[in-house]
Amino acid sequence: MTLLITARDRLQRARGLASVLDAACDAFEDILAVIGAYEETTTSAGTAIAFLLVATQAANGRDAVLFAPSLPPRSLHPRQAPVPPERGSAGKIKASVAGLSLLLASQLAGAATTAGAGADQAACHDAARCARTVHDLLAGADR
Amino acid sequence: MTGGARFGDFLDAAHRSLAPRAGEPSPARGDVEEVSRSLLRVVTILGRYTQDTATAFRDVPHLTPAPTSPWSQARAQARDALTNAAGFLLHPAVSRPVWPGAPSASPLARRLDDVAACLAAGRDLLHTHFAPGPQDRVHRSPWARTITSERLNRALLAEVGALAQPIAHYGANVALAPVPGAPAHAGRRRALNAACQWLWVLGASVDAAGRQQPVAAADRDLLAAIPVNALPGRPAPSATGTIPGLCDGVSTTAERLRHLAWRSAQQPPWTPALTVTSLRQAAETSALTSHHCALLAESLAARASQGAFPAASPDLVAAAQAARRAAGAWFQAARALRQVTTDTRGQVTPAAAEARDLAWWTGRLAYADPAWTLASGPSCPPRAPQALAPEPEDLPRVVAAIHHAADGVALLAGTEHHQLRAAAQAGRLLVPTRTLDGDYDIPRPYAPAPSQVTGALLARYRNAAQASRQAAATIGRAACATGAPSRILATAREATRTTGPASPATDRRDEATHPGRDKAGDTAGPLQHALRGLGITSPALLARGADLDKASQRLLIEAADELSPAHSRPPATTLNKTAASAALLNHALASGDPQAAQLLRQPAQADRADPEPEWEPEPEP
Repeated sequence: MTLLITARDRLQRARGLASVLDAACDAFEDILAVIGAYEETTTSAGTAIAFLLVATQAANGRDAVLFAPSLPPRSLHPRQAPVPPERGSAGKIKASVAGLSLLLASQLAGAATTAGAGADQAACHDAARCARTVHDLLAGADR
Repeated sequence: MTGGARFGDFLDAAHRSLAPRAGEPSPARGDVEEVSRSLLRVVTILGRYTQDTATAFRDVPHLTPAPTSPWSQARAQARDALTNAAGFLLHPAVSRPVWPGAPSASPLARRLDDVAACLAAGRDLLHTHFAPGPQDRVHRSPWARTITSERLNRALLAEVGALAQPIAHYGANVALAPVPGAPAHAGRRRALNAACQWLWVLGASVDAAGRQQPVAAADRDLLAAIPVNALPGRPAPSATGTIPGLCDGVSTTAERLRHLAWRSAQQPPWTPALTVTSLRQAAETSALTSHHCALLAESLAARASQGAFPAASPDLVAAAQAARRAAGAWFQAARALRQVTTDTRGQVTPAAAEARDLAWWTGRLAYADPAWTLASGPSCPPRAPQALAPEPEDLPRVVAAIHHAADGVALLAGTEHHQLRAAAQAGRLLVPTRTLDGDYDIPRPYAPAPSQVTGALLARYRNAAQASRQAAATIGRAACATGAPSRILATAREATRTTGPASPATDRRDEATHPGRDKAGDTAGPLQHALRGLGITSPALLARGADLDKASQRLLIEAADELSPAHSRPPATTLNKTAASAALLNHALASGDPQAAQLLRQPAQADRADPEPEWEPEPEP
């Protein structure tokens, strides 16, 4: 789960609204990439649908950040080439995504307090809610 | 189906109003003036129904019968017959009906008033599915296409004919049997009798069409099952404690989904309610609902093979496979939606909210855990077949629930595809620029979705719509095989897909037999009546009377063939001059032989077929 570990590190190091938004946007994208890679090969309809619900919330979180006015127009850490995500077991993916989503929720909630009233704050709140839902889905709590 | 008002409620009430009732006076009694006034109300509303089947519902492209088809002729003849009947009843001696009319005192008039009220309410119910449009009427529900289908129009016309016959019988009895001491009103009696004769002609025309192209019992059931166009209430979560409660919850939620999906699809493409959040929720929960339908169909297949429906087991296996394919197609659509976003987000349409509820209800039915929620996920152990349908007779109820769910998802697939296409055309689909390759240099985080992205997304939705329709149709076959109440949904889909000249049926097993038709009353001829009036009870004498009545009936029908050209033909009123000749004519008309109608018709009223609209191609559902 290198992709998710890197995303986690970036998110932890991010300081300032623009930096947090940038790292959060990429982290949501990375969750989608990891789940997408799992979906390509899995044969279990049940697990695939469970991840589908998680991925939908990750996509909603990414979209919320995407429309924040303070999000840098281009990624602050552009990738030279798309990184093919590692193929992990369902359990490993669950644990990694749950941990990252918890961090996302916390960082975005913190960013919301510094963003001031307006579109940035609303975006942070929305994205934090989506991250919490991702975590809850993986932990088995109802949304 | 949920518990709201249905067309059949009013139709049944109308038939019941005419049925003999123990301890009540015969309905074939009453004041001529009063009965004529009440009959005019009934004739007027029957005329409106006939008009509806002929012209008012032409706003839907469908295959109509050939202009000379039996039903087209019957429709034209029914309209003529009702016009003629109204003409006799609008005799200056009879006042025009006033609404609300004073309560009638005569037994038959009271019953006819009830019939008119029931039929008017039934027609109002059908019309809740339409609204006036700029040129023609517009559809307000997915049922509208079914109501306007040729097959349903035939069923409706058959009902009009079935009601006309007992009414004619009772009305003619009032006309020909003066009450001792009451004023004679000979002219009014003749007019009432003539009106009833035209109702017999109507019944005979419809019967003749039905003999050539029978109305299937399933079509009559479908007509009766048409609900009022209203959003049913949300089912109470407390209903989840039992399988019947869960099945009702699934069926009601599916009906709500159909209603709300239709309503969402009427929104313009620029509506802010159309968001990627909503599209994603509808897609993911439809994948889940389809997955649940597959689990349930598998369980039911196992149960069916052990119980009362072994023949339905292969249908249920096929239904499970089809539902699994639908789940897969929705899954791919939901995945494709991750690549795009919309200019508005967050808001969820009522249809998407209902789709989520449907996933919850079907999940509660499919899984063993009674506290299952969406967060519990689809990997929970499914409910055991024995627990799902403890008794063999429980199986159709569960089949109906998954049929409703699959049908709701199929309709949602169509409306979501339609909305997505409109959003793409309006340029509302965007992509995050971070997901684009390096060739794009866009100085903002999102950009209009490239055509290859929207094209791929729409293709996924097309697949989801097709797979969902296929799943609903396959589960519909299982519903028919198990006699599940939801089988009318299968008939409805078929009626809007395939209409047209049916080949003359020789197998009449599925032909509708009308519940009220045999209760029309005494069909004894005038001679039998006279013998009974004399107190004759000898079976031999009554049988000879019946033979003679039949012979006179035949003679009159054959004479109708020999009638002279119009200019020298006596008007029908001449034949009704005396009560005796009117009784003979009534008996001939009551035989249902369409040839007898020639005794009444003038050549100007020669059979006219409706001008039919040209065939139009079936629109993409």
